[in-house]
Amino acid sequence: MSATPSFAANHGPAIELRDVHKSFGTTKIINGVSLAIPAGERHAIIGPNGAGKSTLFNLVSGRYEVSSGRILLNGEDITGLKPYQINRKRLSRSFQVTNIFHNLSVYENIRCAELWSAGYRYSFWHRVGALKDVQQRAEEVMERIGLAKRRDVPAGTLTYAEQRALEIGITIAGGSNVILLDEPTSGMSRTETARAVELIRQVTEGRTLIMVEHDMGVVFNLADRISVLVYGEVIATGAPEEIRANPAVQEAYLGALHKEDDAGAQPAGDAAHA
Amino acid sequence: MKYRPLNLGRWLIWGATALVFLVAPLALRQAFALTMMTQMGAFIIFALSYNMLLGQGGMLSFGHAVYSGLGAYITVHVLNLVSKGTFSVPVSLLPLVGGLAGLVFGVLFGYVTTKKAGTTFALISLGIGEMVYACVLMFPDFFGGEAGVSTNRVVGEPFLGITFGPAIQVYYLVAFWCFASMAAMFALTQTPLGRMANAVRDNPERAEFVGYNTQHVRFLQLTLSAFFAGVSGALSCINFEIVSAENVSAIRSGGVLLATFIGGVPFFFGPIIGAVVFIFFVVALSGFTKAWLLYLGLFFVAMVLYAPGGIASLILLQLPVIRARRFREMLVPYALALAAGLVALAGLIGMVEMVYRLSEQGASTVLGVLGFAFDARTAPPWIAFGLVLAAGLASLRYAARFALARWNAIQHDLLARQP
Repeated sequence: MSATPSFAANHGPAIELRDVHKSFGTTKIINGVSLAIPAGERHAIIGPNGAGKSTLFNLVSGRYEVSSGRILLNGEDITGLKPYQINRKRLSRSFQVTNIFHNLSVYENIRCAELWSAGYRYSFWHRVGALKDVQQRAEEVMERIGLAKRRDVPAGTLTYAEQRALEIGITIAGGSNVILLDEPTSGMSRTETARAVELIRQVTEGRTLIMVEHDMGVVFNLADRISVLVYGEVIATGAPEEIRANPAVQEAYLGALHKEDDAGAQPAGDAAHA
Repeated sequence: MKYRPLNLGRWLIWGATALVFLVAPLALRQAFALTMMTQMGAFIIFALSYNMLLGQGGMLSFGHAVYSGLGAYITVHVLNLVSKGTFSVPVSLLPLVGGLAGLVFGVLFGYVTTKKAGTTFALISLGIGEMVYACVLMFPDFFGGEAGVSTNRVVGEPFLGITFGPAIQVYYLVAFWCFASMAAMFALTQTPLGRMANAVRDNPERAEFVGYNTQHVRFLQLTLSAFFAGVSGALSCINFEIVSAENVSAIRSGGVLLATFIGGVPFFFGPIIGAVVFIFFVVALSGFTKAWLLYLGLFFVAMVLYAPGGIASLILLQLPVIRARRFREMLVPYALALAAGLVALAGLIGMVEMVYRLSEQGASTVLGVLGFAFDARTAPPWIAFGLVLAAGLASLRYAARFALARWNAIQHDLLARQP
């Protein structure tokens, strides 16, 4: 499946942030972020804990409103739009904490994520069982995320890694051109992470991907370009080698992270197996 | 994909349901039974429409009677206008009038209530219920005050000899609309909107991020639900030939919540069972005892505590056991538990009835059971019923443990057999 997004030919950026600010009360979380991500790029946002990475995602996807600044999706201003309006403009996101429909089966989860983009909207005159296009695509997505055999299992009873895969499945099911993944490999073991990276690479082929990720292996493996967010500001943007070599980044972030990683890697791996 | 011959089963179930509707009045010929079944039919629609909110959309409403009640009021006025000759609507199509009225009020009130989900929705629905009830009493010209608006359902020329005068004709009218509404509401669960209502119930936030305005989903679901509530209201108007403030009251809104919960919120057919049981309590039991509401309340509490999935869940739990041909092993423990439960119930009923007799002014305190007469003002019957209750509860405890142990053993085997 290589649905080339029509926007790929578009020369403007898929996502553009112009001097975006966000504060909660007097606490400034995002402090003037400007960023342009060209269509088709795989872009990673890294930074220490509390740097505002997830907040940035929440602003772009419409979960929070910006305090000031503008956000553009394929050149169109989406500042202040609701999450569902932004999603209808073909931007889709996943969540750091698994956010699925727990009582619905895997198949139903995927199908619900497709219905709007397939054009069935609020229809109460179509029978879902008869929608062959939706069904076929759902089977395809389940095959891709490796959950075809778990089709009729309630999502709440899946293992953690399976739920993370479903999370990605729901995000890509609607065929959005811009995909935001928030720590897709968090809490996964090494093998699960490797599998997830392959999955992400496949499903974002020809699309714009923006991901928040802590695992530097994943980041340097997947990303075309990387932005480093520290205290709500982008201190560097560039290709992986540039970022690795950037002294400011090393000082502000990478050194600190390696320590953090050594301390934190083991418990996270255990949790995934539990 | 797995091949599942579900459709044949579905046809069988719907066919059997239609058959039950058709032959029920032939099996139960008493006038009393016929009235009860007619009420059950109307209430089944009401409870199913309520479950479109609670079970399918996750909306706990305390004011669903507003839609059935206002539907009934509009119907009663339309019926009166028809009998005056202002215009002509066949009585058999009046449920459609009630349904459209319910729909209009659903659009009106639903726009406000569905802005929010969860507790806020519940509270606003309660507020709207109280507001409508107050309005009904405030405008007696239209709503007829406490006494209500009465009507006569026999209007116009009889069609093929059908006047809707005899109760049996009303029964079949209700049965037809009940079956049609059941089918329509089931079909709605199989549509994109029905599925998204489930999704919004489970995780409204994620639904927003796959393109759905959750407020809009709730609004449409409530509007459709209000339509069927209105159909049910119109049928009760035709059946009773009177509509009063009681039709929009919080008591009725609470009643449908009780019935739906008792039947089983997680299942489509749960409310059907709930409505049948509820109307049985209301109509049949209220003829026997003044304490029927207390019994209904106790039953409800017991269900909430021990079977939150309702009667439907209790039935569905047995299916895998029956399929594995192991149900026979459960017969003895179930029979023992049932017997113990009945003993406890007998003790409880004895004491409750004595309390009611004592609290009633001027009533004789002498009661009779199985030819024995006893006075509620004396100690021996209290001791006797108390002992019966205690013995029943104690043996129920053991029977339940026995049943549970067997049950767990069977479940263990069934799980072990799975690949």
